[in-house]
Amino acid sequence: MTQKTYSNAIREALWEEMERDENVYLLGEDIGLGGGAFYITKGFQEKFGVQRVVDTPLSEAGFTGSAIGSSLSGLRPVVEFQFADFVTESFKMIVDFAAGNFFRKMGPVPIVFRLPSAALTSAGPFHSQNPEIWFFGTPGIKIVAPSNPYDAKGLMKTAIRDNNPVVFIEYKKFYNYPPADLPDPLKLEIPEDDYVVPLGEARVLREGKDVSLITFGTTVIQALSAADQIEDEGASVEVIDLRSIVPYDKEAILNSVKKTGRVLFLHEARKHGGISGEFASLISEEAFEYLDAPIIRIGAINTPVPLSPPLEKAYLPSLEETLFALRDLLEY
Amino acid sequence: MSSPEMSQTKRDASPSDFQNLNYFKDLENQFLEINQLGMYWNEFDTQKFIPSKEIALELHFLLSLTRAVEETLDSAFRSGNVPGTAFFGRGNEGASVGSAYCLTEEEWLVPMHRNCGSHLAKGHPPESIMAHFFGRKDGPSEGRDGNFHMGYRPKKITQLISHIGTMVPIATGLAWAEKYRDTNRAVLTHIGEGGTSSGDFHEGINLASVQQLPLVVIIDNNQYAYKTLPEKQYACKSLVLKSTGYGIPGFLVDGTNLLLINYICGLALDMARRGKGPILIESITMRSSGHSVYDKFSDYADMETLEKWVEERDPIKRYDKLLMDSQIFTPEELEDSHLRARETAVQARDIALKSSFPNPDQMENEIFAD
Repeated sequence: MTQKTYSNAIREALWEEMERDENVYLLGEDIGLGGGAFYITKGFQEKFGVQRVVDTPLSEAGFTGSAIGSSLSGLRPVVEFQFADFVTESFKMIVDFAAGNFFRKMGPVPIVFRLPSAALTSAGPFHSQNPEIWFFGTPGIKIVAPSNPYDAKGLMKTAIRDNNPVVFIEYKKFYNYPPADLPDPLKLEIPEDDYVVPLGEARVLREGKDVSLITFGTTVIQALSAADQIEDEGASVEVIDLRSIVPYDKEAILNSVKKTGRVLFLHEARKHGGISGEFASLISEEAFEYLDAPIIRIGAINTPVPLSPPLEKAYLPSLEETLFALRDLLEY
Repeated sequence: MSSPEMSQTKRDASPSDFQNLNYFKDLENQFLEINQLGMYWNEFDTQKFIPSKEIALELHFLLSLTRAVEETLDSAFRSGNVPGTAFFGRGNEGASVGSAYCLTEEEWLVPMHRNCGSHLAKGHPPESIMAHFFGRKDGPSEGRDGNFHMGYRPKKITQLISHIGTMVPIATGLAWAEKYRDTNRAVLTHIGEGGTSSGDFHEGINLASVQQLPLVVIIDNNQYAYKTLPEKQYACKSLVLKSTGYGIPGFLVDGTNLLLINYICGLALDMARRGKGPILIESITMRSSGHSVYDKFSDYADMETLEKWVEERDPIKRYDKLLMDSQIFTPEELEDSHLRARETAVQARDIALKSSFPNPDQMENEIFAD
């Protein structure tokens, strides 16, 4: 089995896509000479040159706008944000210009925004955020959130080949996660040959019949641990990794709810305004009669991301909380 | 085209020239040039730059058509055919036509909302512009946006969003694509003097400067940003001085002189195509109507100064007079051109009004490209 880290999987996807299509180029802060804050693009500039691996000035709005402009002309830029948090600098470029350009009949905008996201021990309020909710409410932007190396590589390839703006959420805490330590359902063999993971298809990581635990991103590993523990207590948990948030796999959500009648949503982002609210409402509208218990949602508490370890721990959704909610649902 | 060095008298400019710079007087027969070596005033004798009769008349028609299209749209708004609002570029027709006329078919134009003349000079058909304003299916956005928030892909004109400043980085990216593909093509964009206060203006030009991109940025300084005057917008004596901060060439010109802006823009685009970009041009005009159709200009404008500009610096009157004074053109030829422009605008309106309104049925399925 080919064992690769999440960061190597992303790196390979970028490398292979750049070899495949000369319109693909990378830009961002420190990515060329320095290989990027997380070294994803180390060695790329030597291979592909300064024209295709561009060190930009410190100006997210400027280089995002520029990347979008170049995509109008048929290039396929991949924009690296040093941290997802800094994408707020580029908001109008993405939300107002790129997202609606196709709808306004002005042509496709093929572009990928790479967003290193979520908490990483005490990274603080401006290096820890989960950006999906900022974009979820804007039509015209696709959002993907891979939880493991296989999906990261396959989804990156799909994102680069897509003719629309794609917000590609990467999880910093997974970059160098040892592949051997991944839970079994995430130990997916990465083929030597080209492969893609389609957008809008969730993955059932674990089949179950008593309760559905629907999640994505950093909390996938937590969800699998919780499922293991609940199984030891005698109930079976179905764990679904959404993988792609726009478009999302409506059928996978509804089918699982119809099977188990109980559903827990879990994401690292704040529960308040979190996208699981949208999914809960979907179930209420389309599968209410299948429910045997109220829908429960878990997410971070409604504060900015705090830095100090005890505060950060209190902020993030925990395994205990997840177990508590699962037991609650099963006993309902 | 010859360079100003070859054809014009040139003298050193000094920082003190900016202390009491009078746009009305000081730019009448000269323009300012800033490059790495220094700052110069170049004399400009417009008569010497009158092109062939055919081109001079084509420019005349485009100039007149710009005003006719905007006036027709204004009446259409008053009679209820324009949903939303409308912005016009009265006073800016010369700067728009003169600059966009320099672009080749393959080169991108990134206009602002006061560049109707740029659309027309680049080949956007007036009936398509009208249909866009009327929210009809035959407009380039098929009713999904309106007024001057429009592009026209067949002629490589981008749309613009309402956030002023945003389009400079977009233009930078289009110029990046030209450099990336080594095409020797340049990109032209416009921004108002108000827009130069936005961070995006800076970020876009800075990136273009660092990467030496084939980009020409024209600041259409019409001396009003909605209801705000230049002295509340920027503290430098003239916006062209910003070019020095970016390490790029700059020109300060009277934007009401069509042949001057045409000459300078041609020069700048040529420099850009040869890898000497980006170039910043500050084009001075005066907005001769309100910010939008809803704006009462007389509430805050200096009407006395405006009257003087309208009398002596109206780009159409100026070009008419220039062509008449040259004695190459007869009054009948120019009147015929104006008449054709007005007829063209009215015909375009009638065609556009026959276009159907768009059907909302499939809208939700047209969010994403395949």
